[in-house]
Amino acid sequence: MKILRAFLFALTIAAGVAYAGSAADSPAPISQPATASAEDLNLRWMMEGEKRYRINCGRCHQPPHKFEPRVMATAVRHMRVRGMLTDDDMKYVLYYMTH
Amino acid sequence: MTRALTRLCFVIAVCIRLTPLGTAQENADLRAAADEAKPIPVLSGGAAFVPTWDSGDLTLVSIVSPVLLVPISRNLIFESRAEFEGDFVRRNGNSGDFTGAVEKSLEYAEFDYIGNRYVTFTAGRFLTPFNIFNERLYPNWIRNTQTDPLIYPIGTGSDNGLMLRGGVSLDPGVTLNYAVYFSALSTINRFESERHAGMRAALFFPRHRLEIGFSEQHILQDARINRLGSYLEWQPARVSLDLRAEGAYSREEGDGLWIEGAYRFRNAKASLLRRAQAVARTQVFHTGTVAGINPDLPTTDTKRTEAGLNYYLNDGWKALASYGKTFTAAGDSNIWTVGMTYRFVIPLGPAQ
Repeated sequence: MKILRAFLFALTIAAGVAYAGSAADSPAPISQPATASAEDLNLRWMMEGEKRYRINCGRCHQPPHKFEPRVMATAVRHMRVRGMLTDDDMKYVLYYMTH
Repeated sequence: MTRALTRLCFVIAVCIRLTPLGTAQENADLRAAADEAKPIPVLSGGAAFVPTWDSGDLTLVSIVSPVLLVPISRNLIFESRAEFEGDFVRRNGNSGDFTGAVEKSLEYAEFDYIGNRYVTFTAGRFLTPFNIFNERLYPNWIRNTQTDPLIYPIGTGSDNGLMLRGGVSLDPGVTLNYAVYFSALSTINRFESERHAGMRAALFFPRHRLEIGFSEQHILQDARINRLGSYLEWQPARVSLDLRAEGAYSREEGDGLWIEGAYRFRNAKASLLRRAQAVARTQVFHTGTVAGINPDLPTTDTKRTEAGLNYYLNDGWKALASYGKTFTAAGDSNIWTVGMTYRFVIPLGPAQ
């Protein structure tokens, strides 16, 4: 029980440090232009999708290679439930993996 | 001056008005673009052949675990996983041919309805969301160390009931994920379930790739015991390291902790080495106040430390080997594993 208490204490400290670190280095929100070219949007979504793919997919398993688009559309719904992705994570990852 | 201020106010008002519209429009565009690919049914899963020498006794562990994913609509999906496991041992102890039965189990068969960005409704038979090993790391092709953690039997398995779950971004640096569930008692063969109520909640810090969570479970039958759990998962962005740890506590069943590190040599000069991953795990278990209440747990206080190597041949195949030592008051023993795992994905329809 002592080990578990120490573990819980360490988790609490880690959460506090991570949260403080996140707040400190959170970039200011980037204002988006009301209209952006399709190329700009594609680039931005691909970059954001790749970032979220790297952050989220490796939490459970080795990040997979790309599957066929319709397989990926199914897999990402499974990941949404099992890996508890957020709605935005799901959209960006699906866009990245199917384009 | 007044005119300039008026113009400035007008521009600010237009910007305030247009920015959410632009963002909302962009979100709708992203959803539409992402939804261009219509989901199809998929048969996925894994297979493993992992001979294990525990205290000198060889068991040929053979597992096939198919996963069926059937999207019914954009927000409704049915998913199921079965497991066929044969643990074959020598007929006469250390000699003779290998024999054993193949155990069949339905691990989950659930309908998931993505209600909105905050909640997903799950109904059916689901994996108990107590800590993370059971839900996320159990399949052999996923887990870094092949043997189950000593505390794995505490609070895990499958439940029949209802669950609410979801992941919500609290701000760009923090995501909350949660699961709240209730399950009914079932004694039907291969559909066994305890009467439970429980929850798991975690904070995920995407910038640090750190997740910290807590679980609670209350059994609403027989001894009405409580189980508590906590876990940590960290994958630093600059180092190819997976660090995972779980703790579980039940006064009656016992308590314990495991911590595992896995380092992938992604930056090695030799390309062959980049596929290798070194793994180490250490764990401890202490028995509870009621001996034998959970027959899957060790009967004495136990410590175990393991180290091994995984080698990713490609996206589907993984070769593995590990050695570990178990320490108990009754004596120490060695545990070896060596084997292969395979992950497959088969589309059940036109994939393009």
